[in-house]
Amino acid sequence: MNEQQQMLADMADGLFAELGPKATVAGHWGRIAEAGLTGLLVSDANGGFGGSWADALLVFRLAGYHALALPLVEAVVAARLSGVLDGLGSLAMRCEGVIDNGAFTGTVGGIAWGRDADYVIAAAPDGGAMLLRRGDATVREGRSIAGEPRDAWVVERAACTPIDGIDVAAIGAFVRVAQSAGALDAALALAVAHVNDRKQFGRPLAKFQAVQQSLATLACEAAAVNCAALAAAMALDARDASYAVAAAKTRAGEAIGEATAIAHQVHGAIGFTEEYGLHPLTRRLWCWRSEFGGDGHWASVLGGRIAAAGPARFWPDLTAIST
Amino acid sequence: MKTFPTEPIVWPDGAAALRAEVRGFLAEHHRHPDPVRRASSWAVPDAAFSRALGEAGYIGMTWPAEYGGHERSALERYIVLEELLAAGAPVGAHWIADRQTGPLLLRYGNEEQRRRWLPGMARGEVYACIGLSEPGAGSDLAAVRTSARREGDDWVINGQKVWTTNAHNAQLMIALVRSEAGSERNAGLSQFLIPMDAPGVTVRPIIDLTGGHDFNEVFLDDVRLPAAALVGVEGDGWKQVTAELSLERSGPERYISSLALLIELIAHAGPDAAEPVRSLIGRAAAQVSTLRLMSATVAARLAAGEDPALAATMVKDLGNSFEQALPHLVQASIEIDTADDTPLAAVLGYLLQVSPSFSLRGGTREILKGIIARGLGLR
Ligand SMILES: Cc1cc2nc3c(=O)[nH]c(=O)nc-3n(C[C@H](O)[C@H](O)[C@H](O)COP(=O)(O)OP(=O)(O)OC[C@H]3O[C@@H](n4cnc5c(N)ncnc54)[C@H](O)[C@@H]3O)c2cc1C
Repeated sequence: MNEQQQMLADMADGLFAELGPKATVAGHWGRIAEAGLTGLLVSDANGGFGGSWADALLVFRLAGYHALALPLVEAVVAARLSGVLDGLGSLAMRCEGVIDNGAFTGTVGGIAWGRDADYVIAAAPDGGAMLLRRGDATVREGRSIAGEPRDAWVVERAACTPIDGIDVAAIGAFVRVAQSAGALDAALALAVAHVNDRKQFGRPLAKFQAVQQSLATLACEAAAVNCAALAAAMALDARDASYAVAAAKTRAGEAIGEATAIAHQVHGAIGFTEEYGLHPLTRRLWCWRSEFGGDGHWASVLGGRIAAAGPARFWPDLTAIST
Repeated sequence: MKTFPTEPIVWPDGAAALRAEVRGFLAEHHRHPDPVRRASSWAVPDAAFSRALGEAGYIGMTWPAEYGGHERSALERYIVLEELLAAGAPVGAHWIADRQTGPLLLRYGNEEQRRRWLPGMARGEVYACIGLSEPGAGSDLAAVRTSARREGDDWVINGQKVWTTNAHNAQLMIALVRSEAGSERNAGLSQFLIPMDAPGVTVRPIIDLTGGHDFNEVFLDDVRLPAAALVGVEGDGWKQVTAELSLERSGPERYISSLALLIELIAHAGPDAAEPVRSLIGRAAAQVSTLRLMSATVAARLAAGEDPALAATMVKDLGNSFEQALPHLVQASIEIDTADDTPLAAVLGYLLQVSPSFSLRGGTREILKGIIARGLGLR
């Protein structure tokens, strides 16, 4: 980490720790805007910070670590894709409809905090991406199992701007992997603290080998996701990231299944309560595993691509991710 | 809490050229690899191949030139290793010398030992074996009983090592022995360099469950060694071995054994692979690509002078688990006659049999998880 990244990470860490899973857009979005975080990936010329995807990973990972209940990651990415800082943007996971004469009619769904967003970036019906302003969209409100807004906009003949060369699903997948990397590390930290503190049979749970071995597995899974997330960020900064992102989202999905089960198991009943801080992490992880394509989807995409290229290309294509 | 280093890998200048150079070398020296031999790459000894590698400058790459090394960076070495292993090249003869014994001698060995042994290792002509395990000391390595007793200026070694890979090919062994009579556990241990042709050394093969011969029993009966056979500091054996093991654990060989199977699976599936094989290929590729980056990250941190012991242990544990799981996942997804002589059936059949050893050699899964747990502050 360079000095600038360290400052960015320290700032984000402090702010997100304070806001955490109880934050609300009405009450706390101003703090994010004040810190200038929305412009993280917007160029200096357009009033942003001009950051890289590696910088974004630092911030997104910390948002996941602190289970931040604000559309920070979506806003940062939407601003980057639109290129300017102009209101609150979000990302859509689904899109159904048609574009006719530059106007979109249909539904864009799975929009994090769609009720608060001024514009959304969605996959366009015929490929590529589009920017849709809220206009007079009808907002259908929904919530993920983590309690975060996941809304849909129903629009008729809304003006939309095409954005070329962007795969919304892949970028969304990267974002969720980055958040998951942080949330997995945080779940591990909670679990380690808990088993050192809680005593049964006259000693801390940490002293039981079965507990130690489970947490070692959790740590390995968290480590793998952190490494995969970094690879995807570097690939986004460098070149075509489609392989690295597909691999990272697949690997993250597998890790989430195993790691969340272990984190809950070692906590016992206390981890199953509303009061305790594990569920803001694990409930988000369960959502993120499915959002922007689950591991089944991305494994199939990646497998199809590898099979089409043939066995002789397997190793050269794999090493091309980081070389 | 941060589970894994977050510094990106910075590959050295000329990395792409080096990779191409190694691929060129392999195209010339490793033309029609048999798929089963590919899957057992670092267990296959091939003296001619080792010598060719030595000539090309691919052994002892990071060692000083005065000992026959090539003074390349750790990441350059990493590139060469992963290319050799991915191609399934027969690197078994010199593997331990290059990975472990040479670096150990550079770090702890005396000048005489370095001059005598390192240049031959770098030429790909001198091979080594690791004498740690004994009948009574497996996971519990501190239970070793083989002893070294002083007689005048000499040391006299007595005892037995077991599961010693490559002992039948090697010219030397580095053995961990008890050099202080009556000492307990990890105190009073030292490392000795034992020439395999020294009087009193007897190697007996142990045949593995596939019928193959990789490991051995090594009997040490009144083996007389000069004072200069001590490696490092008398009584520091445990500390030295621990350092050696972190070199042993995080290399690309810890995840790559099943790569040959994945490649045969891709060939079997064809360009329009159907489910469930298509997703299996994707899942395996996601694992392999992540493991590769984890392993390379550890190499990069080692090169930067850090000791990423926890990360290194994680790489081995995750790598072994993946290598071990893949043959069973493949078997679960496709109909296959294990008696077939297709490349896929042959590699699958081989890996089903040998993969149980992946989480034993180099420290068992349970021992590795114990080390990780200690790193997490649980013990
Ligand atoms: C293919 C192969 C090559 C090898 N090559 C070499 C070599 O070159 N040189 C060398 O010195 N050794 C070598 N070994 C030996 C290897 O290091 C040992 O097999 C390993 O350390 C385990 O020891 P063990 O086999 O005696 O099993 P044991 O230690 O008896 O263990 C049996 C089982 O009990 C578990 N267990 C043991 N203690 C604990 C504990 N405290 N808590 C929980 N579980 C525990 C183990 O994890 C394992 O699952 C090789 C082994 C294999 C399979």
